[in-house]
Amino acid sequence: MSDLTRPLRTTPAQAAFRVLVVDDDPDMAMLLARLLANEGMAVDTVHDGDAALVHAMSSTPDLILLDVMLPGMSGFDICARLKADEATALIPIVLVTALEDTQSRVRGIEAGADDFLSKPVKPEELIARVKTLRRLHETRRELEARRLAAEVQRKEAIRKAFSRYISPRLAERIISDLGDDGLPFQSHAQRIKVVALFADLRGFTRLTETVEVDKVVGMLNEYFAVITEAAYRHDGTIFSLAGDSMLVGFNVPFPQPDAAVRAWRTAQDMIASFAPVLANWTRRGGVATGVGIGIASGEAIIGNVGSPHHMSYTIIGDAVNTAARLMQMAKGGELLVSGPVYGQIRELVPGGRAVARGNVALRGKSEAIPVFSMELGGPVPAAALGG
Amino acid sequence: MNNKIKVVVDKDLEDLIPVFLKNRQKEVQALKAAAAAADFEQLRQLGHRMKGVGNSYGFAQVSEFGRQIEEGARSGDRAALDACIASYSEYLSRVEVSNE
Repeated sequence: MSDLTRPLRTTPAQAAFRVLVVDDDPDMAMLLARLLANEGMAVDTVHDGDAALVHAMSSTPDLILLDVMLPGMSGFDICARLKADEATALIPIVLVTALEDTQSRVRGIEAGADDFLSKPVKPEELIARVKTLRRLHETRRELEARRLAAEVQRKEAIRKAFSRYISPRLAERIISDLGDDGLPFQSHAQRIKVVALFADLRGFTRLTETVEVDKVVGMLNEYFAVITEAAYRHDGTIFSLAGDSMLVGFNVPFPQPDAAVRAWRTAQDMIASFAPVLANWTRRGGVATGVGIGIASGEAIIGNVGSPHHMSYTIIGDAVNTAARLMQMAKGGELLVSGPVYGQIRELVPGGRAVARGNVALRGKSEAIPVFSMELGGPVPAAALGG
Repeated sequence: MNNKIKVVVDKDLEDLIPVFLKNRQKEVQALKAAAAAADFEQLRQLGHRMKGVGNSYGFAQVSEFGRQIEEGARSGDRAALDACIASYSEYLSRVEVSNE
């Protein structure tokens, strides 16, 4: 009866079923530990309530054999505490009570005990009860593992699907924000303020008439690879690719207070990252083209549009149309932005770089809008550029 | 009355018995001290514990003494308690583990 508060490990803990025995009577604790160890279980014993709680919470055993009458916290209190804590709630608890003590059993049930064992202890009964709980516990653990695996699989599928549209960082955020059965995006449409960026290869359509068919797809892929990376670097969401144009949205699906700045940086990044590709094309075959970009802001409707067989995460609105018109007006290496967007990036644009074009009437729009132009690309053979 | 009392113990528990019996001797001392101080609550608790542990090890008689002590403590019967503790002490001096 020496140091009774120190946990005493009776068998080496391999991957064995771990039982915590709590009994203030060292003889009883030793007996229970021996009977369980004989069944190949790893047993720790403690002799008072407070030590039991600390041990249970720190080492989360697979099962607890808990005496009710303890110095310190009572068995009922320990049981209730462990059952109230998410981390320990699933540990099966067997309360050890006197045979005739009905009141204790009722209190034990109220405290969340999984089973009861009577004193004096009958070894066969102890083993039978523990084994039953062990099976239940293992089944529950296996189900939990399967549920987790399915959950990981589901998230991975979502990640794969969405990583084609949005930056990996945004995908990660969507996944981590995902509830148990939540969808990554609201199925109903929303109207939000967005910044839309349209980019395309100026003069590329004309170019496809002279370049071999096989090469066109390869070149488009090279081009889309670099501008996709640029869009992702600034957490833009790619809404569509059509021909040689790309539509990128900002402030969607998550709020980005600096959406206009992100769009401006994306534009610079796209043109800069495309420069080496362009240089290579030019060297190989005198191909002359360049990325033209338009950026506009305004309200847009966001939603999943399509049929059950083909869905598309879509953005519709004036900002998109304006950005498209601006892009069509831009030359290779040029960025055209609407007045409100310029207002938000003005501070960042190096002096003399932006040229006010005044109010420009855009095709399909009743009113002329202020437009600002910025040359972002290096020198590009002028002959092949435009429209 | 020096006849030995044989108690059959599970083979797996055999090596635990010396400690168990040593603790019972200490228990007798604790019982005697509690009786001398008329500490009935302490006697009740000790009796209750004996009741649980005795049979668990295969010592039914220890549990029986425990039951009597718990009962004696509840009713405050000093004479019965003293007699019972004496019988328990005597029992321990005669008890012997058998492998049968």
